[in-house]
Formats: sequence, C-alpha cells, structure tokens
Amino acid sequence: MSTLTVEHVARIEGHGTITVDVEDGIVRDIRMDIIEPVRLFESMVVGRRFDEAPLITSRICGICSPNHAVTSIKSVEAALGIEVSERTKMLRQLMVYGSFLQNHATHLYLFAAPDFVGQPSVFPLAETHPEVVKRALKLKKLGNELTGVIGGRSVHPITAVVGGFTAEPEAHELDRLAQALHEVARDAADTVELFAGFDVPRFETAGEMLALVSPDTYAIYDGEVCALDAGWCRPVGDYHEFITETIVGHSNAKHSTVDGRTFLVGSLARVNLSWDRLMPSARVVASKAGLRPVTKNSFMNNVCQAIELVDAAERCALLCEALLEAGGSSAVEPFDIKAGTGTGATEAPRGTLYHSISLDDDGIVTAGNVITPTAQNLANLEADMRAFAPTVASLPAEEFTLKIEQLVRAYDPCLSCAVH
Amino acid sequence: MAPRVVVIGLASDFGCQVQMTNMEDHLLDVLGAIDLSYWQLASSGHMPAEYDVAVVEGAVTTSEHIELLERIRATASTVMVIGACAVTGGIPALATSGELEDRVGCVYGTEGMRIAPGRISPVPVSAIIDVDYHVPGCPIHPAEFVRVLQRALIGLSNRPPREPLCAACKVAENVCFYESGTVCLGVVTRTGCGAKCVSLGRPCTGCRGIAEDANAGAARDLLASRGIDVAALESALELYNSLSEAR
Repeated sequence: MSTLTVEHVARIEGHGTITVDVEDGIVRDIRMDIIEPVRLFESMVVGRRFDEAPLITSRICGICSPNHAVTSIKSVEAALGIEVSERTKMLRQLMVYGSFLQNHATHLYLFAAPDFVGQPSVFPLAETHPEVVKRALKLKKLGNELTGVIGGRSVHPITAVVGGFTAEPEAHELDRLAQALHEVARDAADTVELFAGFDVPRFETAGEMLALVSPDTYAIYDGEVCALDAGWCRPVGDYHEFITETIVGHSNAKHSTVDGRTFLVGSLARVNLSWDRLMPSARVVASKAGLRPVTKNSFMNNVCQAIELVDAAERCALLCEALLEAGGSSAVEPFDIKAGTGTGATEAPRGTLYHSISLDDDGIVTAGNVITPTAQNLANLEADMRAFAPTVASLPAEEFTLKIEQLVRAYDPCLSCAVH
Repeated sequence: MAPRVVVIGLASDFGCQVQMTNMEDHLLDVLGAIDLSYWQLASSGHMPAEYDVAVVEGAVTTSEHIELLERIRATASTVMVIGACAVTGGIPALATSGELEDRVGCVYGTEGMRIAPGRISPVPVSAIIDVDYHVPGCPIHPAEFVRVLQRALIGLSNRPPREPLCAACKVAENVCFYESGTVCLGVVTRTGCGAKCVSLGRPCTGCRGIAEDANAGAARDLLASRGIDVAALESALELYNSLSEAR
C-alpha cells in the first residue's frame, strides 16, 4: 500500500492535507486531514460579557468575519429579546453581501481559476490575462469597500454591535457604492461565463443540501433552514436537533450529518433551494451558462458562486438606493440585560453559519456554540472524494492529485472556521 | 536579486494574510519588488530550503510551530510578524487562562484526547524566536504592512510609535469615552491606527498591544477618579494582552 499526500493544500483558507491510500492501483481510502490548529473559541467566550462575544468570535475567521460578527450579534439579541430596526437589518445585509463579493471573487479568481489555466497561482495571469486579473481585483476591491464603508473596516467590522450600529456611512458614500455596484454587473456576468466555460468532471454528490430559505428574498440574513432532498424546513433554533456533530481522529474540525446523511451547504445548495428568489438578471445569466436547478455536481459550486456575484451586485445597488430613501435609525436603543439563550444563523459565503449563546443574569456568557459552513461540509467533501477518486485513479499521479485538489477547492473550504 | 519572501500562517484566522491582498491597487507593485517563494494561501508550491524574509502570522499553539519557527529563524535573515496573534498572542491567548485541557474538554468533550496532538498554551512568536519587524493590530492595516515591509526590504530598523492613542484621538476630535464612564484601552495602547475604532464609536480594545511609554499606573488612577472599578481595565486587557508583562 502506498500513500500519496498533498500537504498543506494550497489556495484554500487554512491548513489541510489530502491523504490517499493506494493499493494495486485501487484507491483504498482518501481523507482530508484537517491539521489547522485548534484555538478553542467556544471556551473563550465563556466568562466574557455578551458584547464581547461578537468581537471575539469575529476572529474565528478573517475572511468571513462580517458573518461571524453579525451571526454572533443575532444570537445575543435572540438571548436578550432585542428587536432591531429595518434599517439595521438592511445595513447588516449590505455588510455581509460585501463579504460575499470579496470572498467569491477571491475564491474564484485567486484560488480556483489557476487550476483551470494550468498555473500555480493567479500572479502569472497578470502577464498572460491582465484583463481577467483586473476584473478580479475590481470585484474584490468593491466587496471590501462595501463592507468597509458599512462596517468601518473590511476585516473585523467595527460599527456593528448588539442592537444596531455605532456609526453609519454618509449618503454620498452609499450613492457612490450604488453606482459602482451597477457598474460591475458586466464583470460579474463575465465571471459566470468564464467559469461555465471551464471543463469540470461529470460528478454527482450523494449528499443532502441545506440552506436558509426565505419567502420574499434570496436568504442571506434570515430564514428557515431547508433541506433539498428531504423537503423539510425548520427554525434556525432547532439546529442542534437536526445537525449531529462527531469527532474524527484525523481532523481538528468536527464532522456533521443530518438524518444520518452527509450534506453540503454553500452557493450550490442556495442556488438549488432559492433559485426563484435570485434576481432575474442572475437567473438569466445562469440559464445562459447552462445552469438550472437541481444541480448535484459539487464542481459547479464555482459557477454558483459566480451567479451569486451577479445577484449580489444588483441586490446591493438596490439596497444602497433603498437606504438613501428610507428613514429610520440604526442607533442602539436601551435594552435590559438578563439571563437567556439564543441562536442566530446567516448564510456566509461558504454556507450556513450558526452561533448560539447562553447568558446569566449579568449578561456574562455561560456557554457558546458555533457550527461553521465548512465544518458541515467536511464529511460530504470526504464522501465526494471517495466516490470521485476511483474515476480518475488511472491518471498519472500529478493529474490525479490536481483533479482531487479541484474538487477540494470547489468546496471553497475555510479551515480556520471549520476548526475554530 | 529580489529578496525571497515566504509567508507562514500559524494559528490564525488568516485575516492579516487577507489584508496583505487588500491593497488591490498596489498588490502587483509589491509583488514586483519581491520574489514570493512560498504562500500557501495564494500559490501552489513547497516551502523552499532558502529564503531571505519570513512573514509570520498567527499565535504559537503547537510544538510543531516551535520547531518551524526555529527553522525559520535559522534560515531567514529577516523575520517580520504581522497581526495581534503573532505580536501579543492576540485573541488565541484568551485560552491561556485556566487549564488548556479543560478548554479542550469544553469544546470536544471526552474525545478531546484525540485532537490536536502537540498542543501548547498559546504564546506570541517573540516568545520563541527573535523578531526583526512587527506590524501590530487585529487586523493589520494594509498600508502599515507595506510601510514596514519596505523598511524591512531596505534594511531600515523597525520604529513603531511608543506612545498611546490619546493624542490621535484628540486630533480626531473624538469625545473621550471616560467622560461617560466607559473603559477605553486607548490610554495604554500603541498608537498608529488613527484611533479608528473610537472615531467609529467603539472603545479601543488594545489590539495593537501596550505601548512602551504607556503609564499603566496613571490609567488605573484615571479609572478610580471616574469611579470605575479597576478590574474593568484588567478584564478589557485580557482580550489582546493576556500575556503582556506591561499590564
């Protein structure tokens, strides 16, 4: 038996190693060893004040920090029974969507694209495909600006707090952002076209798919959790009943199942579950690229992220314009501190994120729990690897590992999140 | 010959590595000035045997990290640490109070024994090896990163500001949080961020570390004069400065 490893897989967030056991040309086992160091966040919030929990848990991940901050804030608000204004919700959506633009652009162009053009990184493309790199940086920069203008900073936002915001952007900044967002519609559509044009293996995941769903919008900030195959929808607060987490020896991250099945979350799940709620522009671009629900090819997560870029660009432009028209305030209203337990969930770029928190009478945290999108995906990723690897096992070693890496990168795993 | 640079992440959230890419207008210029030999986040490839500059992000949380840092110090002529995790221990150092194994049990239950072999109580990089340059903050500011990197590449010494935030806050015309009886760590935290958080309505959390010229005694007197329990200062400092001797 020989073992092939890809140590510290490149162009993913965090440290993981692909391990393949091969005997007589047959793949006996394939695993994703998650060696990302533990930081033990769920122990760190215990004993801290309720308002410190979002600040601390934001640091689970520097790539999707707006989602951690907002989801943690929502869990505290649920525990304390705080209702926030419509304006606050709109601002939070914009801040999180900024993260989507930045994350998807970074993942698609910096992490995934190089595999499809035979390069080790995006940097050589600055010479060979300058327009593509320019487009990538433009989308990424706009995403950062959006989060930065609303949150004060694109990594670890400052202004979002329990109950609302400590500061709001000026009207001229929202106006400028709206214009910039309208302008990138073309760039987002080109991204769908680019990725739809890349050859991907024909493959179907056997896993279930879960995402937040909302009756009147493409759910990112709020919704119920819905299962694609099983067809149920349940409140976010029930997550610990339908998601089962287990410890596996080769991973510092836990693995998850729902009703005994592995499952995936993220763009592929969202596009399948909320197709009708995408902006028409996004559905048109998606259909032209040949993507329609229900798609079960895990490799198509990339195209789905690109579709979400189109949706996000238009949706955020409209949100900015709506905020300029709307009144209301995002300032924090006084609230009582009391004991309670609450759960919050949002869709992060890579999938559904859950935070729950318990507070004592003084508002001190007694317990906290976080389930990240990638932690939910890892078991299904391994199941996909096990199903896919034999179909490419006859390829030369270098091509074989590239195909496996492409599958891993299609999931856009965030291992700092997964382990936390 | 362009200096060969490697980027290493220890126990971190990658936010500071992301900030390195968040100066989109300058990214290609910076890359043009260096030979980027290894960066797991952005490029396939193996860690080379030789390199000149090591940029290190993250706190030290495993024995493997210690071995890696010792190898890095023996190889690179310049070591630059970026972000609070690497500079002060950062948020990961919140896990240094109490027993590490109790914390592992809290998160993983009785199966915690199988997880993370070689784990140690978190420390900053400077606890293990000598560091030549540091970029503080949680996260770092991309512009500050570029400035310090330039100094490192030219060979100018690291000259971080030594005083706390208060002057910057006054220049920004912020109303001092202590006027309303709110604890703000700006009184002891290294300046250089323009008092950004305070300007946006959040008290300083101390993420840049305690300034050399900070007067911790005077800070405690300030709290006392406002009728604030000095324990509140200690508690606030635990977030980013659990391990600081300057407290």
